[in-house]
Amino acid sequence: MMKIKSLLIAMAAVAATAFTLSSCSSDDDPVNNYTQYQNAVDQEVSAQKQKSGNKKAILLVAFGSTWQQAFDAFDTTKAAYEADSRFKGYDVFVSYSSAICINRAAAGEHVADGAQVRNYYAPNFWLHAFGAAKYDEILVQSLQVIPGEEFTRVINYMKDFANNSLRDLDDEYLSKVTLRLGAPLLTDVDKDVPAVAKALDAVYGSKAKNGVVAFMGHGNPNDYDTYSANVRYTQLEEALQEINPNYYVGTVDMPDNYKQNVGERMELNGIKSGKMYLHPLMSIAGDHAHNDMGGVGEEYWDPMDPESEDNSWFEYFSNKGYELNENESILMFGLLEVAGVRKIWMDHTANAIADEALDEYYHSMFPEE
Amino acid sequence: MKRIVSLILAMGSIVVYAQDEKQYTLPGVVVTGTGTQHLLKDVPVQTEVISRKMLDNYSGKSLEEILGGLTASFSFNEGDMGSQLQLNGLGNNYVLILVDGKRLHGDNGGENDLGLIDPHNVERIEIVKGAQSALYGSDAIAGVINIITKKHTESGVYLENTSRYGSYNDIRQHNGVSVKYGKWTSYTNFQLQHTDGWQNTADEYTEGTIVHDSKNKTVNKYTNWQVSERLSYDFSKNLSLYAEGWVYGKRIYRPTDGHYPSCDVHTYDLMYRNASASTGGQWKINKTDYLTFDVDWNRHAYYYKYTATTLEDGYDPNGKFTNYFPYFAGQKNLQSDQQRTLATVKGVFYLPAQNILNVGGEFRYDYLNAPMRVVDGKASDWTGSIYAQDEFNLLKWLNITGGIRLNQNGAFGFKATPKLSTMISMGDFRIRLGWSQGFKTPTPKELHYRYLRQMGSKTYYYMGNEDLDAQTSNYWSAGAEYRDNRFTFSVTGYLNKLENMITLVNIPVGEIPVGSTQYLGDGSNEIIPRMYKNMEDAKTYGVDVNLSYKISSELSTGGNYSYLDTDAHVYDPKHDRLNAVTIDGMAHHKWNVYLTWNHRFVPTYRLSAGIYGRGSSKRYYQNDGNGKAYQIWRIATTHDLGKSGKPATYRLEVGVDNIFNFVDRTPHDYHLGTTSAGTTFYATFSVKFNTGKKINHLTTKKDNYDED
Repeated sequence: MMKIKSLLIAMAAVAATAFTLSSCSSDDDPVNNYTQYQNAVDQEVSAQKQKSGNKKAILLVAFGSTWQQAFDAFDTTKAAYEADSRFKGYDVFVSYSSAICINRAAAGEHVADGAQVRNYYAPNFWLHAFGAAKYDEILVQSLQVIPGEEFTRVINYMKDFANNSLRDLDDEYLSKVTLRLGAPLLTDVDKDVPAVAKALDAVYGSKAKNGVVAFMGHGNPNDYDTYSANVRYTQLEEALQEINPNYYVGTVDMPDNYKQNVGERMELNGIKSGKMYLHPLMSIAGDHAHNDMGGVGEEYWDPMDPESEDNSWFEYFSNKGYELNENESILMFGLLEVAGVRKIWMDHTANAIADEALDEYYHSMFPEE
Repeated sequence: MKRIVSLILAMGSIVVYAQDEKQYTLPGVVVTGTGTQHLLKDVPVQTEVISRKMLDNYSGKSLEEILGGLTASFSFNEGDMGSQLQLNGLGNNYVLILVDGKRLHGDNGGENDLGLIDPHNVERIEIVKGAQSALYGSDAIAGVINIITKKHTESGVYLENTSRYGSYNDIRQHNGVSVKYGKWTSYTNFQLQHTDGWQNTADEYTEGTIVHDSKNKTVNKYTNWQVSERLSYDFSKNLSLYAEGWVYGKRIYRPTDGHYPSCDVHTYDLMYRNASASTGGQWKINKTDYLTFDVDWNRHAYYYKYTATTLEDGYDPNGKFTNYFPYFAGQKNLQSDQQRTLATVKGVFYLPAQNILNVGGEFRYDYLNAPMRVVDGKASDWTGSIYAQDEFNLLKWLNITGGIRLNQNGAFGFKATPKLSTMISMGDFRIRLGWSQGFKTPTPKELHYRYLRQMGSKTYYYMGNEDLDAQTSNYWSAGAEYRDNRFTFSVTGYLNKLENMITLVNIPVGEIPVGSTQYLGDGSNEIIPRMYKNMEDAKTYGVDVNLSYKISSELSTGGNYSYLDTDAHVYDPKHDRLNAVTIDGMAHHKWNVYLTWNHRFVPTYRLSAGIYGRGSSKRYYQNDGNGKAYQIWRIATTHDLGKSGKPATYRLEVGVDNIFNFVDRTPHDYHLGTTSAGTTFYATFSVKFNTGKKINHLTTKKDNYDED
């Protein structure tokens, strides 16, 4: 009996020891981590404010990317803001909302070579830092194309900031600070949509005279189509076609506006062959633009399943008999790289400074708040 | 270190003994298929064996290398997420890996960590294909691999050390200490596996082009270690008990000098902490009949170990969910903690009229804690089962083995799975027919998991699916075998038909469940959503051929060939049709061959030398290209030094793997046929020392299929 007892005790000892050994005691203090990270952002902003002497800040908010072409596009955009006299007196910052993109941009970028590191902090950290540095005016400019799911997140960051959600900002300061919101590219159907159509035609008009220019937007599946913003793609196509019927706008994810639907509309309009150009309708040219739109080769074409979602636009239209050429037909530029379109975003920023009434728009989206 | 010492001390206070150790070390005997001892020739359920002799000659550095090199049925693609083991076309999820009859626990994406098995402590490996054995769970839909470890029953003190060093700083350490004192037996094992990893190509497809200076490796640097202790105690002639436990750690190091945020920049390493504690015993009822009982607890915890500041899902100081909780270099973050408690009872009874009855039961409780990967952070599951199996030698030439396993799962209810095998013996010929049903419920991960994973330049969003149904299978096999003292030939055909097979398939973004915070983006970075789904139908079928021939007492040759085909469909609701699905990693043809020679030159020196070849045709995948066909050849030599009967013996193993330097240099992000680094060298030195009697570890056997 004694033996069995000692066996049981021993077994308990093994189990307990094994458990202790395998449990990693949590020595990471979560609050401290968060604060530590925020402090670093606060310091960076504070240093910038001190250096520039500016009292106002513009925060450009994008989803983000890990591509060099995208980093360059954001650099160019930031530089364009800084060079624009309308934004004199503003410090300009760029924010990503994708954690993965933030992480990789900060850790990569030739750290080992001592080269530039890009810290695209998330909007909440930037806003808090602006508050800590007590900028008199904070303007958040959405770099989204349509006022959809992503845009609501931008608004929510601003609300959290205004509500002092971490309770460590100066409430008196918060009651005085001027908060402004710049709208996404295709917000206003009467003003923005024709303006973007015109800006695109200014660059690609000559191409549209030779053949079809098809733009590929992202779009949202039905369940994610916040405020039915998908409709802007259709409206943009209409506006473009008023200028030249050779323009088409399709998407990756918007129902009934996939590449097949673009093809059907082209055929209905009697365009069954001829030259074709492809251009992303996204702020920057990343994965989707390169793979879904511009992917070339057998990897992007399944002859057994021509309608497959995995087939690229390039292969899909090539196989339908349109003339596409890898070097000429793929116009691999994000909208931020098209100066005329970028200017429309910047105009939105300027409008926000001029106190354009976004309030009504904002409240209609969130009636309950 | 303190912890390890305290573990050993804690274990030192234990009273114990070994299970049915002796049954595992009897020469030429296999146990996996039926749970009872049979000569390989007469086992009713077709069993493939990798013997100690083959293991010694081949000098495999890992279980992957051993199974991949000495059979044709397995394939591997070692990577961060495990070994990608496949047995006859089905993945690790469907393969039950046992260590001395106990289930190996813990997975990443369905992959067991084979580093938990010390390759230098393996006595023999038995492989039974299909869900043929009622004993080990019907979820062994593809088959069972039973790793039988070395048992040290010598009296006195036994010590051994094996040190292996190879290319790319490949280090393997094995240390064993066995002490037998009176009714006590203690065995302590330490193992370490390390490699610096290698890079077969610096080319990587990213940002719409191929870059030529990616830092991503083909196989990353890793280190894993394990300390285990087993204590056993003979209460009496009829009752023995044991207790054992181990701890294991692993870290996979990813490059930190990458230049491309889109592909080779990583901000965390992968880290594992595993542990096990178990106890049990055996009660001999009479000369033939016995009962065994085991209780086993296992843990597999998986962490990110950060190498740079990283924002992750978490909770801000207000307790509000955020996508931006920061972690700093050096900190870790639990991804998942799988715990399993398993209790088993088994009895073997020799009944009148040539019947052997094997009955038992098993209760298994799985608990998953994954704070950020499972809705509500936790999930659990239980399965209880009982089984009975009868081996009936109806006639001298006819054996019928029938069994049934009754399974009850907490969420998926009841399922009975029958198994039936028949063996007809005619002299040296055997014909074996088998049919078995399998039953596998979705794992907590398959049901509830949700996580983003970056692989190269792509970001995948993996989703569990709470609407999954349990999988069932029907496995049929027919085999013929000829086996005499010199020559063995067998051919086996099989068909494994799965219903509701669960597999990851790409889904349109519109099918991502609403409310998922992971669906983001304005198109700048693409997320590829993949979800676990039941397939409408899936089958794998093929033929395995094994051949071995002992040309003389010193020279042997043989080989295996495996043909495989698969056919699977998944319903596509968008187009209302069935789409054919490739079972990832499937290859039609796989083979291996060997030629070994051994000679004792003087009483104190014996040489064994072998040449081994293995190959595979193209491997097929759903995404990211197919893996290239390959063949790899290896030369292995073993030098046994020292006289038998002396306390100390020595062995040196030297070899060259992949002598023709086959390297798959397909750019990163695409699938490889093989991750082999090309030509590599290794040398292993082993010392064994024993103070007691009976210590001849030098082999005396004459055939690769014979045991020492």
